[in-house]
Amino acid sequence: MNRRALPWILASLLLMLALVVLGMRVGSYDTDYALIGDALTHYNPQNPTHLVLVELRLPRIVLALLAGGGLAFSGYLMQAMVNNPLADPYLLGTASGASLGAIFCFSFLPSLTWGGFYLPPLFALAGALATTLVVVAVGTRRGQIIPAQLLLAGVAVGSLTTAVGGVFTFLSATQEKLRSVTFWAAGSFERAGWEVLPYPAVALAAALGLFVFLQKDLTILMLGEERAQGLGVDVARTRWLLLVTASVLTGCVVALCGPVGFVGLVVPHLTRWLLGVTGRANPLFCALLGGNFLLACDLLARLLYPPAGLPVGLVTALFGVPFFVYLLRNKGS
Amino acid sequence: MLHLSSRRLLKLLPLLWLPLACQPDKPKATEATEPAAATQPQTQQLRDDLGRQLTVPARPRRVLALAPSMTEMLYAVADTATIIARTQVCDYPAAVLRKHVVNSYPLDMEKLVALHPDVVFTVEGITSLDDAARLEKFGVPVYYQRFQSLDDVFRGMRDLGRILHRQSQARHLTDSLQAELAAITKVTPANQSRPRVLAITWQDPIYVYGQNTLFTDKIKVAGGQNAVTEKFAQPYPALTREYILKLNPDVLIGGSFGKLDSTFFKNYPELKRINAYQTRRVYGISGDLMERPGPRVVESVRELQKLVSNK
Repeated sequence: MNRRALPWILASLLLMLALVVLGMRVGSYDTDYALIGDALTHYNPQNPTHLVLVELRLPRIVLALLAGGGLAFSGYLMQAMVNNPLADPYLLGTASGASLGAIFCFSFLPSLTWGGFYLPPLFALAGALATTLVVVAVGTRRGQIIPAQLLLAGVAVGSLTTAVGGVFTFLSATQEKLRSVTFWAAGSFERAGWEVLPYPAVALAAALGLFVFLQKDLTILMLGEERAQGLGVDVARTRWLLLVTASVLTGCVVALCGPVGFVGLVVPHLTRWLLGVTGRANPLFCALLGGNFLLACDLLARLLYPPAGLPVGLVTALFGVPFFVYLLRNKGS
Repeated sequence: MLHLSSRRLLKLLPLLWLPLACQPDKPKATEATEPAAATQPQTQQLRDDLGRQLTVPARPRRVLALAPSMTEMLYAVADTATIIARTQVCDYPAAVLRKHVVNSYPLDMEKLVALHPDVVFTVEGITSLDDAARLEKFGVPVYYQRFQSLDDVFRGMRDLGRILHRQSQARHLTDSLQAELAAITKVTPANQSRPRVLAITWQDPIYVYGQNTLFTDKIKVAGGQNAVTEKFAQPYPALTREYILKLNPDVLIGGSFGKLDSTFFKNYPELKRINAYQTRRVYGISGDLMERPGPRVVESVRELQKLVSNK
């Protein structure tokens, strides 16, 4: 870890701590710091405030951190894979595929629960992975990923799945179903629970672990395919690793939270602005920054429109875009 | 020998409006004293519940409603021969199924205009103001009603009677319904502690009947109280699990205990702590009765009363 990264990482960790504490204070139940400490150290499930703090607020906070980290890091990987700063985690149609799966559930299934399983996240994950496979099939030739073709395939298949989703919505529309689809499409952490957290946590930890070691290959790949090959990087293998990792990570997050936008686009840029393009700590810092950004947005969403909160995807765009524009104007791309 | 208690007689009261509603719209004896037809105005100026001004024929002969509740009202108040169509969701009374269907979502503007209605009735929130403005450009006036209390529903029926020159039918109907409602109110002891009732309309996200909906008034008459006391901008606000835990409702409406146990409470196990789940006071309700502020509104109140009083 270089000297430039360390202060930023420490600052991010401090900010995360502050946001977590603040996040534990916001909600319908009145709490204070002593009560939060008591709930965390002497948890009593019979105490309603303890239950709310530990079973509702804390998993929501952790999910926001994991989702933000996962989406930001996926965006970082995708931008490296196609060597294009416009890439984001939804490049391969993950968001539209996941939305299609969820819309199918809301529109046509008589019950959203089957055999004890809540179906929308499962259908969303299936939709995300199926769409990704189609995009990859169109965007590759003889086992080689062609970045430009992959980008176009992502846009085209994404448009198709969005259109099919629109038809599903149109055919089955009731006011509640429409609101459900809209709410899901804008992203939310309201359904967070401890039981679902291992999936994004394991996916993010594995991805970070893998690419902390492969950071050198990632950096070289960003210099261009020919130079990477000249420097001995197995471009095809690295691209496949990037693609599979980013797809699984994004799929896990989108299935649980909906397609929260903008995080995966802006945070990798911010990471490179702050730490430079070649920093070894970039993956870790990108995930930390993404987690903080999404947690802050969720906090803001809950404060602005209690009790349900604005959909977090709207807040990420409302506050992220002006900041992104400011950075573009003042620091360049 | 047939014995009918006063309560049973009251239950039969709403049936009295049926023969009246089915009568043709023939001139009444009292109308003989009215001025000659040539001097009668051809149109009437109206102001609907949203404050919009509109001009409709003095005696509308071709009417329809874009909301199932208002179609039910029309069948109870209007000359049924003047009802020219229904929407795809209007299914009560059964006779309505014989009428033309005009799609209300998305609004089949072309078909509606082609039917040349004298006036179209609708409910706030069902038809967009933009659609209404377009219809009015084609010469089809749209009359909005808004229902936030039982009195609004009764007033709405009387307004329909006035607009359609069916005042006596509307008055008979509202009188009988109000008498029934008074009987229900009598049964509910005033000093009884009122259970807090939460009615959900959708599970993900959790949407509920808010304070500014007709449900608040209905559940009050039925002997309970809406668990949602805070007024939100939306009539059907989305609530968090934390908020519902804090409300801790005594009764939950939205599906039978078995159904919600395997869906709602399976997805939100934290909510099993609320009183309603602990005491198994979780009930399903007839969707049409709950959602339609029409002539069956008293039936809906009676259904709620049964749930609230745990009978």
